[in-house]
Amino acid sequence: MPLVRGVIYAAIGFAIGGSISLGITNMTGEDYKEPMIVLGYVFAIIGWLMGVGMWKIWGREWFGKSTVNDPTGGWERYLKFNTDHKVIGIQYLATLAVVFLLAGLLAMGLRAELADSGQNVFTKNTYNTTMSLHGIMMIAVAVAAVMGGFSNYVLPLIIGAEDVAFPRINALSFWVVPPVVVLLLLTPLFGGFDFGWTAYPPLATQAPIGGLLFELAFLTFGISSILGGLNFIATIITQRAPGMTWGRMPIFAWSVLAASIISLTATQWVAYGMLMIIFERVFNMVFFSPPGGNALLYEHIFWFYSHPAVYIMILPAFGAELEIISHFARKPIFAYRWVVRAFAAIVALSFVVWAHHLFTSGMGEELAVPFMVLTELISIPTGIIFLSALGTVWRSKLRLKVPLLFALAVVFNFAIGGLTGIFLADVATDIALQDTYFVVAHFHYTIMGGEMFAIFAAGYYWFPKITGRMYNETLGRIHFALMFILYNITFLVMFIPGTVGMNRRVAEYPPEFEAMNLIVSIAAFGLGLSFLPWIYNMLNSWIRGPKAPDNPWGAKTLEWQTSSPPPLENFKVMPTVTGDPYGYGDESVVHARFGKSSPSSQAAPAEGD
Amino acid sequence: MTAALIWVLLTVVAEFALLSLNLFGDAATKQGQFIDDAFILLMALAIPVFTFVVTMIGYVVIKFRADGDELEDAAPVRTHKKWVGSWLIWTTLLTIVVIIYPGYVGVQELRETHEEEADLTVNVTGRRWQWSYEYEGRAVSLFAKDDMLILPNDSLIRFYVTSEDQDVIHSFWIPAFRMKIDAVPGLTTKFDVNTTKIGNFNDDVNFRVQCAELCGRDHSLMFTRVKVVEPAEFEQWIADQAA
Repeated sequence: MPLVRGVIYAAIGFAIGGSISLGITNMTGEDYKEPMIVLGYVFAIIGWLMGVGMWKIWGREWFGKSTVNDPTGGWERYLKFNTDHKVIGIQYLATLAVVFLLAGLLAMGLRAELADSGQNVFTKNTYNTTMSLHGIMMIAVAVAAVMGGFSNYVLPLIIGAEDVAFPRINALSFWVVPPVVVLLLLTPLFGGFDFGWTAYPPLATQAPIGGLLFELAFLTFGISSILGGLNFIATIITQRAPGMTWGRMPIFAWSVLAASIISLTATQWVAYGMLMIIFERVFNMVFFSPPGGNALLYEHIFWFYSHPAVYIMILPAFGAELEIISHFARKPIFAYRWVVRAFAAIVALSFVVWAHHLFTSGMGEELAVPFMVLTELISIPTGIIFLSALGTVWRSKLRLKVPLLFALAVVFNFAIGGLTGIFLADVATDIALQDTYFVVAHFHYTIMGGEMFAIFAAGYYWFPKITGRMYNETLGRIHFALMFILYNITFLVMFIPGTVGMNRRVAEYPPEFEAMNLIVSIAAFGLGLSFLPWIYNMLNSWIRGPKAPDNPWGAKTLEWQTSSPPPLENFKVMPTVTGDPYGYGDESVVHARFGKSSPSSQAAPAEGD
Repeated sequence: MTAALIWVLLTVVAEFALLSLNLFGDAATKQGQFIDDAFILLMALAIPVFTFVVTMIGYVVIKFRADGDELEDAAPVRTHKKWVGSWLIWTTLLTIVVIIYPGYVGVQELRETHEEEADLTVNVTGRRWQWSYEYEGRAVSLFAKDDMLILPNDSLIRFYVTSEDQDVIHSFWIPAFRMKIDAVPGLTTKFDVNTTKIGNFNDDVNFRVQCAELCGRDHSLMFTRVKVVEPAEFEQWIADQAA
């Protein structure tokens, strides 16, 4: 049982690392706790990875021994180090669904506290830890659900590849995620962490040991993102099916490429930021904490990652949204080339807008105007995404299935998210609105209203492919209606306390803001309940749903041209791409032919199925 | 045509609602007034964009719905030069407008007074979880958490803000003034306001200094009540304190 072995090896690793650290701190006379945790963790994670199967598949060859890799099997193939991108995609999605629901429960707790102005549900410290945990767990979901989950499952299929370029690195990217979740869930037992997901020092360096666990978790998660980004870039460059030229590549693949570039490069900054805070804590080095350190330095490093990171979240969401809209509108993606250009422009701009988070931070005044200008320029490429979505549905033959409903909701919600972003890019209004509930409502509109709705669209859309079964359409519609309405009530009303003087990240607030917060809380509880039909639908349909055909939507991209679910290495006969995948209403555009190059292979038995 | 009419109608209704609503009361400073006006202007510009998206989605869902059993393809329009071109021009124009006003002009507006001599300078220091204030040149300082920060109306007030050396980052925010700046250990930041309105925490909770940057356990409670009074009353109060 690889999981049990992983846990045992991790424990052994922790014992080894911790003992080495104890030996050293014993000599230096330093406090033993934090160095022991850090070194113990490093060894523990190596032990964990080896235990869950990395040793068998990968580690043995470092010592000249033969490796064994068998990614097939029953359900137990999901519970080990597995190199099949489809297994990894499901591992990510299942893990993150759990994280999402847990973080959602935390949000329910927060709204219970905020339903009235006093302090009643949590103590002040547990409120801050709860709020911080909700933040970082949802960020993890937002970063990895599309990139780790759907990209892993769909990207190799949609470009006609057998797998990603580096399947073992891919498995490694996933298997460091469970330790991240465990670390975060352990934080409350170690004093919690009260500094939000942004972890600004000196607050973060002074926090209890729970804070150190947070830093280790964030660093580990960063490594996962960096490796994932690297893998997808290599996959898209080298693994496309014959004939899949750049101009024929599905828009989802383009969006993953764009997000991967950010994921590979920007994430390294925040990883160093976390490492520096760990060094401050463990080795008493001085980077960010005065005297001697510079607190603003961290804010720059942090946002140099964390602003681009929102595009890691939203770009593949846009890709999935446009993909789904095109296939359900039965019309080619409108202005495809402009969308690709817009992705490129967003990637470039995403790196040069970070300091709009710092307008009130006390950074150099002369930085305000350039960062405001650059930030507002992002409206133009983002506008193209809207043009494309609306242009595609115009005069289309719209099939209002659940995936499309969610995809259209992305357009609606992100319009609000994007437009309210302008208020925060503008220096003057940002000075008033920064750190208020306006910001909270805004980023929930972009990330939840934009990205999460796209994730649900993608979830329903690819459900038949992933599980081989159909979900229940009626339950899906009920989920959509409830979630869309309650989501919008919750977060539209949440703008109000922000504009009238309520700051964020507080457990207590002036009683004048009570009524609006009560409305938000009630709607939020409803929003929480709206996920019940989704949970039931997903689980029940996966087990008992009717068998799905290979291509229930009549979509033209490659993942629908193989069985549901696809065999190991994806296609029984490899495709040759002859046109783009959006040839709706145009017989002359054929996306792919199968087995044209070697007709005999059609008769050959399926590989590894 | 129908869609265009719906769009215009929705836009007019929304703009009318925006202008007739009082979203957040009057700001108590000149800078705050500018910020409020900027907010309203951005709302006014955002409304037609938003109603366009809403109209399009609503119209398309009703008009182009095709839920038959047979999959039917639409006419394959892949792009449209004129639409793409005018969309790009319009979004670029809107962006430029917003960058210039309220963007660039706003930054200048908030800095306008930086070269002037202030009527009153207050040195603000944050520490967990309370503020202290020193009225520069007036021999008056406030240290207690229950102290009320008294400020003169019709005056240019300059706040120099910092945080204690071993402390954490805070943010000095007076919602009624609409202004905030972080209090960073090892760094002194500042902002200017021209007060324009008398007010008191007891009547309006936005007359408070509120810490706006998460600073740990009692972050929510890190506030000071603020009272803006006539300059004469202020001088009297200063004299009383100094005595």
